Amino acid sequence: MLKTHGAAACLAPHVLVAICMAVTSVAEKPLFASDAITCPKSEDKDFDNFFTKEVWPKVGRSECVKCHKTGGDADDTRFVLQDLSRLTQEERPAALRSNQDAFIRMAHQQHDDRSLLLTKASGGEQHGGQQVLKPGTAGYQILQTFVRRSTNPNSLSGVASMDSVSRESFFEDVTMLDDLRLLRKATLSLAGRLPSKNEMASLAVRPSPQFSSATVSENKNENPDRKVLEMILDNVLCEDAFYERLKEGFNDIFLTLGVDGNPDQTVLSYEHFDKTRGWYQKHDLNHIEDEKERRNAGYKLAHDYRAALLGEPMNLVEHIVRNDRPFTEIVTADYIMITPYTARGYGCFDELKKRFKNHDDPFEYIPVRLKALQGRRESENQTSDTGFYPHAGLLSTLQYLSRYPTTETNRNRLRARMYYEHFLGVDVLELAARVSDAAAVTAKFENPTMQASECVVCHKTLDPVAGLFQNFWRFDRNSALYGKREGGWFTDMFATGFEGSRLPQQEQWRALQWLGEQTASDPRFAKTMVSHGYYLLTGRRPLLPPRNLEDSLYDAKSLAYHAQQEEIEAITTRFAESNYNFKSVIKDWVLSDFYRADGLSKPVCSPERMAMLQDVGIVRMLSPEQLERKVSAIFGKPSGHLQGQTAMLYGAIDSKEVTERAADPSGAMGAIQRTLANEVACRNVALDFSRNRTERILFPNIDPNAIPGESTVTDQQIRTAIVHLHQHVLGRDDAEDSPEVGRSFDLFSEVISDAQKYGVFDERETWSCRQGLERPVPDPHYTVRAWRAVVTYLVRQHDFLYE
Amino acid sequence: MHSSDPSYPKPDPAPTMRRDFLKSCALAGLGLTAPTTMLSAIDKQQELPPYEGPYYLVFNASGGWDTSYLMDPKGTDRINRLYTSEQILSHGNHRFAPTSDHKQDGLSNEDFYAEFGSEILVLNGLDYSVNNHSPCSRYMATGKLDSLAYPTFAALVAACQGASCPLSFLTFGNYSATGNLVAKARVPYLPSLIRIANADSIEGNPKSPYHDKFALDRIEQMLHQQHTDRTAQPQLPRRQRTESMLYAAQLNSKALQRITPHIPKKIPKARLAQQAEIALASFKAGVCVSANLSIGQFDSHANNDTDQMRLIPEFLDGIAYTLHRAEELNIREKVVVIAQSEMGRTPDYNQGNGKDHWSIGSIMFLGPGIQGNRVIGATNEQQFALPLNPKTLQTGVGDGIRVRPEHIHQALRQLSGIADHEYSQQFPLGVKTPEILTNLWVNPTKSDSE
Repeated sequence: MLKTHGAAACLAPHVLVAICMAVTSVAEKPLFASDAITCPKSEDKDFDNFFTKEVWPKVGRSECVKCHKTGGDADDTRFVLQDLSRLTQEERPAALRSNQDAFIRMAHQQHDDRSLLLTKASGGEQHGGQQVLKPGTAGYQILQTFVRRSTNPNSLSGVASMDSVSRESFFEDVTMLDDLRLLRKATLSLAGRLPSKNEMASLAVRPSPQFSSATVSENKNENPDRKVLEMILDNVLCEDAFYERLKEGFNDIFLTLGVDGNPDQTVLSYEHFDKTRGWYQKHDLNHIEDEKERRNAGYKLAHDYRAALLGEPMNLVEHIVRNDRPFTEIVTADYIMITPYTARGYGCFDELKKRFKNHDDPFEYIPVRLKALQGRRESENQTSDTGFYPHAGLLSTLQYLSRYPTTETNRNRLRARMYYEHFLGVDVLELAARVSDAAAVTAKFENPTMQASECVVCHKTLDPVAGLFQNFWRFDRNSALYGKREGGWFTDMFATGFEGSRLPQQEQWRALQWLGEQTASDPRFAKTMVSHGYYLLTGRRPLLPPRNLEDSLYDAKSLAYHAQQEEIEAITTRFAESNYNFKSVIKDWVLSDFYRADGLSKPVCSPERMAMLQDVGIVRMLSPEQLERKVSAIFGKPSGHLQGQTAMLYGAIDSKEVTERAADPSGAMGAIQRTLANEVACRNVALDFSRNRTERILFPNIDPNAIPGESTVTDQQIRTAIVHLHQHVLGRDDAEDSPEVGRSFDLFSEVISDAQKYGVFDERETWSCRQGLERPVPDPHYTVRAWRAVVTYLVRQHDFLYE
Repeated sequence: MHSSDPSYPKPDPAPTMRRDFLKSCALAGLGLTAPTTMLSAIDKQQELPPYEGPYYLVFNASGGWDTSYLMDPKGTDRINRLYTSEQILSHGNHRFAPTSDHKQDGLSNEDFYAEFGSEILVLNGLDYSVNNHSPCSRYMATGKLDSLAYPTFAALVAACQGASCPLSFLTFGNYSATGNLVAKARVPYLPSLIRIANADSIEGNPKSPYHDKFALDRIEQMLHQQHTDRTAQPQLPRRQRTESMLYAAQLNSKALQRITPHIPKKIPKARLAQQAEIALASFKAGVCVSANLSIGQFDSHANNDTDQMRLIPEFLDGIAYTLHRAEELNIREKVVVIAQSEMGRTPDYNQGNGKDHWSIGSIMFLGPGIQGNRVIGATNEQQFALPLNPKTLQTGVGDGIRVRPEHIHQALRQLSGIADHEYSQQFPLGVKTPEILTNLWVNPTKSDSE
């Protein structure tokens, strides 16, 4: 059972978890002491394959290793496995073999004429994890087969082993974006702009897969266009707009903008910053003569100061990436990012002012190492062997600690839980295992978290990390964040440390730095950052391994999971080789088939194949922020429509209560899309026609009075104009005789035809839609309004509203 | 305006569009299908008929309520400091804690039971199995502890009974997974409803449309053609699904116009009342099936009694407000209320006068098909759950089961008539037949007055 809130909280979560195979404790060793078990040397490749493809993923990894590993609840048994997620790719084959041997040894142990492996798994012989697999279930049958095979090598497997699929066959019949369309997608997503002419010219134009049967992209390393794309992306990843996107994406994960209250009080607490945090209240604005202006300037000062404070953690992310520093610094950086405004709040402005270019720029961030905190009382001074605050990247920022506060009963477990989720990709509360009677267990033990096996299994991992946050043991953030517990840290919790390693006493003052160092060297960290990169680009997390072995689509889902994992592993390897340069993660994802996948060349009827492809392709509904950037990139200015409450209605987050972006449009969002399309078309169509032809964005090659049906030439011109609109607004390379262009043409001509049938209409655009024009644009034939209908139609489409 | 002119050209694509759209959604595996009776209605009316109930409201006391201060009173020093066992009150078959002398604002238990006791069904001794917020919230909302894929009851019932409603499933918080069956709608502010109700008009003013009606109709017609064309082409599953979702969202959003007359001019201040007004206006307009309403801060690890005496009356007041407003809107008899929390609180106080998490709790129901004035299940004096006989609904007699969220959800699916729906079948709860709470909603042997 796991406790993250409250003294009696119990639960057994998915990854660390409760139910496992505590084969026998050290105290029980006599049971096996006389058994001279040697590992059977199996040369049976089919048997090895069965273990690798069936036993390990479906039973070992998903159940046993949660407890039966070093540092796990069952690490004092004779059945201790290696946790592959903590190993590098090179180390895994040997570890897998070692695990297979451990399974074989267990299979050979007998209890009441039955394999102990099966006995324990089904909850017998005092299995600490109780029943893991019910007899008769698919998982149990796999173990049965394994026992039979290991004890009788001549027997048939009884269960067909699942073959993996190659990358090529996984993406078979999946059409890919060509380089130009990929480039458009990437520049819009990462930098909020369209590709430049130079960028497009540098790419060799190849037939669009939209009209060809192009499928899997060629071998990445041999593709010369990949080099060109990489060079373009290198430049894109240096643009300021990319860093806005980067910060936005990582805030979606860390949510540090969601600090409660005024950050000048909850981040900079009274105990340590009482004399400096309110500097803005005394800031001299007397040079502004007008009282109202002066008051407004004061409001702006406070607003900017608070925004700058909240922005520090994500600006650390920006600083690391922008300067090609190892991304491990998000947990190891011995500095924070501060601005002239926040430096005043910390009370270190005078020392730093020479380093700032502009003392009045609230958002000029520079890296700074703070001195150790000084409290109002000496007892509240921060302990430090160096005299400096022991920074540990994001982990020790006051914003992160304030965003994820602790309480007296929580004992920093929330922080430990968030640490695991954010930096090691482990959601300890993801899937909780049932406890037969949690209330009874709680009542039975004096200290359930250290005594009840249901609780111990998770708390043994979680509580040591909670202890690493022990120097930040204050509950009223306005009062203080830093502060030690009187009498020392709790002794009724597992000792402070990290997954089996105790925190050395001399490191206690810098416990979070120590944690950061452990984290940076943990293989799960790099893989988690690659997963964060995927989240940033797609808005969704990588697939979880399927768990329901009874599911008829289990194998298909498993293949999908493994295909994605292979890509993640490959990108993780290159990430490490690049000295953890996060740009390599973004580039690799953008150039991967998972990002390029765009469609199917032929229908897929099989449910299994559909399940395999369920998560392929980005296909992400744009967030309000992304949509505004796209409108700006394509039409020259944002709509201004998706702000404030409307943005929230359109699925934005506030980083506090609403922390997950909407993935699918509700009817309310559908209404906003209609308004957006109406508004964007209204503001831009007549305006574009009012410009000189060479300056037009939407209609560079068409006269506003061109009427369909007048002549073949005119119709051709209209179709050409539509092709341009489709390309510019939707990024589609539609041919002039394509059905898509045909529909837009029909819409244009039918609206005009309807208007003319009606016979009476104003010869000008609607009043609202003819404001701000560079010169009057008459509309005697209704053509301008018909073009507006076409643009409205395009903006409402999937190709515009999704990426 | 042109639109009022009888000679006006009319593309009139709506009936076919609706039918084709619903078919395409079904093909896409979305919860956007409709019964054949609805299809014929669409053909006649050109617009999807309003959903007419029942409406489902899930009130969530987020953070973990103290049931010993509401429907499962104990009155012992260890468990309750504000009253003694002799002071426990009753109304009909209900027993409840006295709170009128302790509440800050809101509605006391006394007043709540006096008004609604005859309609309320309480189940005590509910076993959440775990006691941490995240899994408990998921478990209570979906009936499934060990899956992230399951939809909440509110989402499931919305998908089964009215997925094409533009705000089919509204949520104001709490765990709100949809199982990809239906889109969830967040409408946090009442004025937002006005803003989205007239999406094709400038500044939301119906007298100032962006497009002449014939132009707008042509746009809709072309979008329909395009959608039909694309669904016939091979597409990646995600693309196929999202194309249909997008088309549905835009098309169905037109029905939001029906909400406008039901938006109150005065916005209430109370948290639940604000949420309720949005949900009720949407119900009344026939554009919504279900809503999750939620208020937080129940996690009273410190100063339990102060917090619970502030929040429970606020919570009950919110329920009462909702039912009163539903009465005014003439939909009261169609509203099903489920009042719950993700966990209970320990049967003793911690050193900070707070109470920590407890895996045993209670749930409350009210609405059509639910026989009130009943209390099912129980906890003992130490607040442990007593086994319940699922057939007789008696505790302490022979063998019984630990009533868990899956049992409640199975019963809710039956109450709402969706237990056999294909979407429910996609998300089985695994409740064995002998464990089904057969007579939870109506006791065939007793009348309301007993």
